[in-house]
Amino acid sequence: MLVTRPLHVFLRHPANLRSSLVWQCIRDYHSYEHEAPFPFAPTEDAILSAALSHVPTHGFSINALTQGARDAGYLDISTNLFPTGAFSIVRYHLVSQRLALAKHASSLQPQVDITANIATLALHRLHANKPIIHRWQEALALLSTARHLATSIRELALLSDELLFLAGSTTVTSSWYTNRAALAAVYASAELFMTQDTSKGFVETEEFLTRRLEEGEKVRGGLDMFGKWVGMQAGGLVDGLRSKGIWV
Amino acid sequence: MSTATIPRIFTRLAHHLLKPGPPYRCLSCSRLLAQQEQIPKQDTPNSTTHFGFETVPSSSKQSRVANVFTSVASSYDTMNDLMSVGTHRLWKDYFVRSINPGIRNSGEEKGQGQGQGQTILDIAGGTGDIAFRMLEHCTAINNDHTSKIIVSDINPDMLAEGKRRARAGGYEQSGRLSWMEANAEDLSEVENNSIDLYTVAFGIRNFTHKDIALREAFRVLKPGGVFACLEFSKVNNRLFEAVYKRWSFGAIPLIGQLVAGDRESYQYLVESIERFPRQEEWKGMIEEAGFLVPGGEEGKGWDNLMGGIACVHKGMKPLR
Ligand SMILES: C[S@@+](CC[C@H](N)C(=O)[O-])C[C@H]1O[C@@H](n2cnc3c(N)ncnc32)[C@H](O)[C@@H]1O
Repeated sequence: MLVTRPLHVFLRHPANLRSSLVWQCIRDYHSYEHEAPFPFAPTEDAILSAALSHVPTHGFSINALTQGARDAGYLDISTNLFPTGAFSIVRYHLVSQRLALAKHASSLQPQVDITANIATLALHRLHANKPIIHRWQEALALLSTARHLATSIRELALLSDELLFLAGSTTVTSSWYTNRAALAAVYASAELFMTQDTSKGFVETEEFLTRRLEEGEKVRGGLDMFGKWVGMQAGGLVDGLRSKGIWV
Repeated sequence: MSTATIPRIFTRLAHHLLKPGPPYRCLSCSRLLAQQEQIPKQDTPNSTTHFGFETVPSSSKQSRVANVFTSVASSYDTMNDLMSVGTHRLWKDYFVRSINPGIRNSGEEKGQGQGQGQTILDIAGGTGDIAFRMLEHCTAINNDHTSKIIVSDINPDMLAEGKRRARAGGYEQSGRLSWMEANAEDLSEVENNSIDLYTVAFGIRNFTHKDIALREAFRVLKPGGVFACLEFSKVNNRLFEAVYKRWSFGAIPLIGQLVAGDRESYQYLVESIERFPRQEEWKGMIEEAGFLVPGGEEGKGWDNLMGGIACVHKGMKPLR
């Protein structure tokens, strides 16, 4: 059911990861119907949010995590609460920023222009990376290690779901998965673009994002067909990441 | 690694067999001795516990356990090699690395921990295996020259062996090691909220009352302090489990007899592993004692080594 072309990028991953992806997709479909819970306990929240404020100086590192623990009144050794170490800060950022999107969405007009809404939301999400953009390559490196790959792909899929959902795309058709994978690929490429963007206010990233979304509209006449086109682009993204020495 | 260690076991085995046998140890005599030395705990006379698969009065388990380790102290490494299929050194390395002990000194940073090192308590520390690794980790990885380690064990023979190794390995001179003879179920020598890190490797399955030991751990740890345990556990693959059981129940006591002339002690060790609670249950007990258990990416709350032959569990004492 999942073996549609846009997903060929995912299919480059080992077979054992693939089956978990299928399973996740089925489950995520249902998560639409529930309020997503904040997956961090208060203690974790306190330490990780404090750690995040040290990322601009210390990067996504165990050092930032240690500083966060100290700020929150804990000990150096307390970082044992986070078995994935520095990656837990990356995941915290991804999850909390994804969940924060809902607040922003109230300013949108649902059912009007889904693509425009998606562009607004995606841009808003990209801007949340501003304070740590000079460290984001470190995050990408962690995200693409074999150990965290399943979590990374899942988080990207959830973001895509959230963008589509908040933008007003309520149609759950067979093309729904296609949309999601397509959007995920566009978002990921814009995020990567942003790490190289030196323009003021990241206007070039904004242009890049809107261009990608509009191109998709034009070429295939709407988001539903858009996925197929992006699937082919996604291969390029993976190669791009690889050329940067990031293992994907 | 295992290919390097397993032959060593057998070299040692051959060595033992060719050498005049190990000094004769009368298990029942030393048990009697141990019983005289140790004041039984406040158990009711009828309270029983497990000694391997035998059910024995609680009051005598402690001395019987002490006795097992007295009788295996000298052939201790061999025993560990056998039980872990030769990989316990790797597990211990992993255990210490994953805990990352030591104050993290990042140059000019001013943190609460600066200057004053951690106080680490290594329970059932016996031969110092874990303590030496932690000391090295503190110094080499975190550039921490101040953290101190208290090595504690119920058995003075094991502590004596540890001290000997500390001198031989050059750890004693650091002045950062101290030794404490104590039952993990009664750490009254240690103040409340005074310990940063409590470690116990391959020890806890021998404790008579694991829940009491956990409560003591919770008491002595500072808020934010960490309990970390490495223990033999349950293999999660049927076929592998069958093979491992065959090995542990069939071969180990026999080899124990050949190497140390002491089948009974090795039989006990194998059975105590079998009796130890499963991963989920043990995690539950840690939580029950008040600890926050790290979830991890997979959300399990423990870390299996080699398919579960051994397992790392951790817990953090919350701030309040
Ligand atoms: C298998 S050894 C482990 C030694 C060391 N931690 C290692 O990993 O190599 C188990 C140790 O637990 C100690 N022990 C058994 N019961 C104990 C108790 N109730 N309190 C403290 N130590 C205990 C024994 O004396 C023995 O030294």
